[in-house]
Amino acid sequence: MSRSKLAFLLLAAMAAPILLWPGDAGAVPVFARKYGFACTMCHSSFPRLNDFGVRFRDNGYRLPSRESEERTVLQGPAPFAARVSGGYDYDQFQDSPEAVEEVRQFRLDGLDLLSAGLMARNIGYFAVYVPQIDASRGVAGQDGTLEMASVVFSHLGSSWLNVRAGRFEPAYVAFSVKRHLSVTPYEIYDFSFPGGSAFSDTQTGLELYGQGRHGLHYAVGWLDGADSDSTGANLSDDPPADVYARVSVVFGAGEGQTAGHRIGIVGYSGKARSLTAGPGSAPSDRKCYQRYGADASLNYAQLNLALQYLWGSDDEGFWGATESQDFSGGFAELTWQPMTRLAAFARYDSVDAPDAATQEGISRTSAGARYSFADQLALHAEYSRATTSFRAPATPDMQEDFFTVRLDFAF
Amino acid sequence: MHGIRSVTLLALPIALFTMALTATRAGGGFLANGPLPPVPVPPDNPQTDAKIRLGAQLYFDTRLSADNTISCATCHSPEMAWANHGATDKGFRGQVGGRNSGTILDAAYMKFQFWDGRAGSLEEQALGPIHNPIEMGETLENVVLKLNAIPGYRSAFREVFGTDVDTGGIAKAIAAFERTIVSGPSPYDRYLAGEKGALSEAAVRGMNLFAGKAHCMPCHSGPTFSDQSFHNLGVGMSRPNPDLGREAHTKNAADRGKFKTPGLRNVALTHPYLHDGSAKTLRDVIDLYDRGGEANPNLDPLMLPLRLTEREKQDLVAFLESLTGTQPIVQNPTLPEDARAAARGGAGGAR
Repeated sequence: MSRSKLAFLLLAAMAAPILLWPGDAGAVPVFARKYGFACTMCHSSFPRLNDFGVRFRDNGYRLPSRESEERTVLQGPAPFAARVSGGYDYDQFQDSPEAVEEVRQFRLDGLDLLSAGLMARNIGYFAVYVPQIDASRGVAGQDGTLEMASVVFSHLGSSWLNVRAGRFEPAYVAFSVKRHLSVTPYEIYDFSFPGGSAFSDTQTGLELYGQGRHGLHYAVGWLDGADSDSTGANLSDDPPADVYARVSVVFGAGEGQTAGHRIGIVGYSGKARSLTAGPGSAPSDRKCYQRYGADASLNYAQLNLALQYLWGSDDEGFWGATESQDFSGGFAELTWQPMTRLAAFARYDSVDAPDAATQEGISRTSAGARYSFADQLALHAEYSRATTSFRAPATPDMQEDFFTVRLDFAF
Repeated sequence: MHGIRSVTLLALPIALFTMALTATRAGGGFLANGPLPPVPVPPDNPQTDAKIRLGAQLYFDTRLSADNTISCATCHSPEMAWANHGATDKGFRGQVGGRNSGTILDAAYMKFQFWDGRAGSLEEQALGPIHNPIEMGETLENVVLKLNAIPGYRSAFREVFGTDVDTGGIAKAIAAFERTIVSGPSPYDRYLAGEKGALSEAAVRGMNLFAGKAHCMPCHSGPTFSDQSFHNLGVGMSRPNPDLGREAHTKNAADRGKFKTPGLRNVALTHPYLHDGSAKTLRDVIDLYDRGGEANPNLDPLMLPLRLTEREKQDLVAFLESLTGTQPIVQNPTLPEDARAAARGGAGGAR
């Protein structure tokens, strides 16, 4: 039996019990369990939030207009949930026509443990713990981290003033990578100077946000700054110096997620150290970097078009250059949800790297679909091709073809 | 060491899963739409058979209106699920009110009565229409005089309350009768009780939509499918002189255009819908919600476009139809004869 047939049979065997899963299974995570709601109350297709979910989140994890009846975490079911995904991955890396590397495997890919709820009538919290898992055959490793742990003080006098403190997904990220349908990254969010963190990473600090009439939303924040990856470049005792502001406007009924249209602009100014000589090298002096962006989320019938463009400007030294370096990029993502259980998406990412970078540019084309068997269980299929071009003459493009079929399970 | 880590890794999600499952089975969420509990009865108005009989007579008696043509049952008719199928009803001398007559079926469970919630109990509500100049057009003083002149009522009031006819007794008797107008189990209740065949596949899909994508449950929750609160859907707010709803009672501008969340049990029988009866069918109501209500400055934040498909709308209708419970059977009571009819030897009856 060929490997592909074996893979298909194994996949079918995995899917069979799920296809027989009762359609009205009721156990759903944290908030859904608290209220007795289905996940689709807040998610157009889990984990992507719909307009109601956005309002619920922005209202400090309280049902709008029913705040006085809310229960704290001590008055309801245990506020814990978990999310795990796993399936079959195919990854092919091609550095040159002759150098092709393939990885095919079944594997569990990620486990998040989540707790959220209200501590008092207008004080909510949201925490996500990612446990340390060593990579082994069949299990994708992950670094243990407290991905989110934030407290929200809601409606301090009016809807114009809410405060979020702790580690959270800042509002300057227009399209949440924690809640998007795709498992492949938004390249422009991931792009950073050596040793820097992704733009979409969770951050530690303080955020003020609010909304008023005519669909106007704002958020300003003060952050500890770019946390680094395992290189430790930015783990020094530098005082927090990163600030940001975002303003968005929603036109029409909705929040721009699945109804209405949302446009926004964002500015971010940060200080960080880089590792221009590579991992393990001494970090550079503290330098400034800026990000500016514009985004739009447009809806028509069952279609959503998400557009993001970002410009980056890094002081000299971040890339080992003598002059400041600029880059830009963005993505356009079309999501189609013809029915509650099914969502499909297609996305194009592009990054034009700074002159000092080895890479000249990155492009990625992705397409996928997600079918929910039940509230808490989805089958996800996605194909993505990323191409990286290099400045050095005669260096061939590097290409990655990625395909995955996996189950996404939250409970 | 590796073994310990693996055990920890497995134990944690298993523990969480167990907790989650236990919580779901035990609680089901604090907005759960369960079966109707026993009817709440206020301590100062206990139910008695005699009081309920008296209340039924008063409910069906047109002599409570100024021109002896309109009874409670005129607008809240048992033939029309204790509501009325007109958008708004004709009252005293053919005057037309501005609001749809809500059903009194299961009204005993509602914290507030009337669309604007201006009555906090059935007792308080019962007298309202009598002296409303558009509805029954009578004065409370005159009703008391009229009923006291009817020997059967006078003796019944003495039996039930130990007094002659008074407004308090009228209110209490009508309220006691209305507390018996309660629907029985619906297919939805039987489904919850374990009879899985009680709901069609479409109704089950509709039930899931109700608790999810259709965003019904944040307001239509609890045994009556009402949060017992007030919301602005924007209905009629674009008119030149819109109905202010709850604001007219509270004088609070934040309540402008808010109306009581009606219960949904038996909703398939109580058309038309909304406070002004502007939605003829359940489908019309769903279409209103699907477009996120009608824009106005005080639109409830829960109102958002839903993007429902045609099939999803049909499924929701199927689910709402499954909320129709068994109906209370009430015979029109024999009414006490007035003094002149009694002298003529005429027979009383529901008019």
